[in-house]
Amino acid sequence: MRFSKSIRWRLLLWYGLLLATLLGGFGYTAWRLEVSSHYQQVDHELQRRISAITNALRAFRSPGPIRPPRVDLKLPPADAALFDASDSRGYYYAVWLREAEPAARSAKGPAQLVRPESGDASPRQRGNLREAFLFAAPVDCVLVGCSTEDDFASQRRLAWLLVTVGGVVLALGLAGGWWLVSRALRPVQDISHAAARIAGGDLSQRINTANTESELGELATVLNSTFTRLDDAFAQQARFTSDAAHELRTPVAVLLAQTQAALNRERGAEDYRNALLANQTTGQRMRRLIDSLLELSRFDAGHEPLGRQECDLVQIAEDGIEVLQPVAEAKHIVIRRELSEAMCHVDPGHIGQVVINLLTNAIEYNREGGEVKISTFREGDRAVLVVADNGPGIRREDLPYIFERFYRADTARASAASRTGLGLAISKAIVEAHGGTLVAASEYGHGTVFTLSLPAVERAATQGGSADLTD
Amino acid sequence: MRLLLIEDEPEMRQTLSEALREEGFAVDEASEGIEGLEKATDTEYDVVVLDVMLPGMDGWEVLRRIRECRRTPVLMLTARDSTADRVRGLNSGADDYLVKPFDLSELLARIRALIRRTVNQTQPRLDIGDVHIDMVARRVTKAGVNVTLTAKQYALLEYLALHQGELITRSQLYEHLFDENETSLSNLLDVYVSNLRKKFGHDFITTRRGQGYCIENT
Repeated sequence: MRFSKSIRWRLLLWYGLLLATLLGGFGYTAWRLEVSSHYQQVDHELQRRISAITNALRAFRSPGPIRPPRVDLKLPPADAALFDASDSRGYYYAVWLREAEPAARSAKGPAQLVRPESGDASPRQRGNLREAFLFAAPVDCVLVGCSTEDDFASQRRLAWLLVTVGGVVLALGLAGGWWLVSRALRPVQDISHAAARIAGGDLSQRINTANTESELGELATVLNSTFTRLDDAFAQQARFTSDAAHELRTPVAVLLAQTQAALNRERGAEDYRNALLANQTTGQRMRRLIDSLLELSRFDAGHEPLGRQECDLVQIAEDGIEVLQPVAEAKHIVIRRELSEAMCHVDPGHIGQVVINLLTNAIEYNREGGEVKISTFREGDRAVLVVADNGPGIRREDLPYIFERFYRADTARASAASRTGLGLAISKAIVEAHGGTLVAASEYGHGTVFTLSLPAVERAATQGGSADLTD
Repeated sequence: MRLLLIEDEPEMRQTLSEALREEGFAVDEASEGIEGLEKATDTEYDVVVLDVMLPGMDGWEVLRRIRECRRTPVLMLTARDSTADRVRGLNSGADDYLVKPFDLSELLARIRALIRRTVNQTQPRLDIGDVHIDMVARRVTKAGVNVTLTAKQYALLEYLALHQGELITRSQLYEHLFDENETSLSNLLDVYVSNLRKKFGHDFITTRRGQGYCIENT
C-alpha cells in the first residue's frame, strides 16, 4: 500500500493539519489578548502619571514672551512616589515648552529623549520604551515613559509556554488520532484479510464481526452473508456435479455389464438381440439423464429463453391431461378436474412440462385404481394450479428434500429406476424462472398435493394485443 | 458356489445375476438392504456382492450387521471412488471393493479370488492325483484328457476339491450349489455324484453313509 494512498495516513495528516491550525489560532489569539491587556495596564499607569504631572503644572504660569528655559516641577510626595527610582519599570517624565530640549525631566530616564510631534499617536513604542504624552497648556508637551524590557521577556516566555503546550497537545492529539483511525480501520483490515483468504480459495473463511457494530460491522455482516451464499452455491454446484457423475456411472455400469455378459461366450441371434435391446434401454436412460442435466444447467445459468404469452392455466391443464389420460387409464386411475379461469403470462411449453411432470408423478406414485385431482383457480393476484393424488404420499422426513436434485425417496426408487431424479428439481427451476412457487404437502398414507402458483394477469379486453398489455 | 447379490438397480441386478449363473454360480438376489441382510444371515454364502447405495438400509449398515454374525467374504460395489470411500469400505470389514462401472471379468476374477482365499487356496488350479482342475477356465482334465462336465457337475467337483480332505454334508452341498429358486430334489445330488464317479473313478469321491461326501487327500 502506498504511503500517500493510505487512508490512515491521509486521515491523520488532515487531522494533524486541522488540529495545528486550531491550536495555532487559539494560541496566537491568547497571546495577543494577554499582550494587549498588559499594555492597557501599562498605558493606564502612564496616564495616571501624566495626570499627576499636569496637576502639578497647573500652578505654572507662562512667564510671557521671555520664557524661562526651565520649568521647576514640584511634585507632591504622593505623586513623586510614582516616579520612585526603585520601581523596576523606571518611570520617567519630560516636559517641553517650545524648545526641542525638555524644560524639565525626571532624574532618571533614557539619555536620549525625543519630543513627540503634534500628530503622533499616544502612547508610542520607542524601542524598549513605552511613552505616553499629552500636548496641553500651560506647557507644550508632557511625556511619561517607562521601560518595557521585562514585559518583552515575559511575553516571550508566554509565547514559548503556548508553543510548548500547543506542541504537547498536538502530539497527544495525533497519538489519539492514530489510535482512533487504527481502531476505526481495523475492521477494514479484517475484511481485507478475510477477503484475501477467500480469494485464495478458502470459502469457509468469515470476517469476525464480534465487536464491530459500526457501519463497517454492517458491511462485514453483509459481506459474510455474501460469502456464505457463495460458499453454499459452490458446495451445491460441487455436490450436483458429483451427483451427476454418480448418476451417470450407474447406467454406464449397467451398459458395460450387459455388453460384457453378452460377449462372454458365443450365443444365438436371439440372445444378442436381447442384449442389444437392453443396451438400447440403458442408452435411452442415459440420454434422458443428460437431457435433464442440460436443461437444469440452462435454467441455473438463466439462459433458457422464455416465450411468455398470456395463457390460461385451464388450457395448460387440459393439454397435460390429454397427454397422460392413456397412462392413467392403464393404471385404472381417474383424473378429476375442477378448472376455473386463471390467466397468467408464462411460457406455455415450459409450464406445460411442469404440469405433465406433476401429473406423471401423481399417476406413477399412485395406487392401482387411485384418483388424481387437478384444479386451477385465481386466488388474489396469483394464478394457482393444484395436483392432488390419494396415493401412498411422501414420508415426513423425505418431504423437505423432494425438490433436491437426484433425491428419490427410498421406497420410490426401485419402482422408478427409469426416472432421473431430476423431474421435480427441473419443475421447480422452471416455475421459479417465471416468478412463481411450487410447493408440496403430503400426509403419509393419504396422498400428496402439489401447488403451483404463478403471478396472475387480467384477461386482455381485446384478444388482439394481449402481449403488450401484460409485459 | 453360492453367492448373494444385493443390488437395487433392477437392470444391473438382472444382468449380473444372469452373468454369474452362466459362470456356474448359484445366485440369490436381494433388491434392498433389509432383505439382503436377512438372506445373508440366514444362509452361509460363499460370497456376498453388496452395493453401497441401497434403499431401506445402506450397504455400510448391512455390512456391519453381517459381520456381527458371519465371516462370509463381502465384495462391495459402489459408484463412489474417492480414496476415503475405499478405505472406509475396507475398514468396515469388506473383503474387497469394486468401483462402478467395472468390467465383468474383473468382478468374476475378484469373486473367485475371494472364494479361494476363504479356503486358503492361493492357486487357481487344483491337482488331485491325475485330475487337474483349472478354476479360471473352469476346465477339468484327467490324465491330460479333457473331461466334459455340466455346470452343476463342475460346481460339485470344485466345491469338494476346494475342501479336499473335509467331510462335506449333503445339506452343505445343497446350500452351496443351489440357489433359492431351484427345487433341489433330494436324490439330485446322488445323480451328480454318480456322474462324477463315472468320469473320475468310483474311489475319487468317498461316501460316508448318512454323513456326506469327501475327496480324500492323496
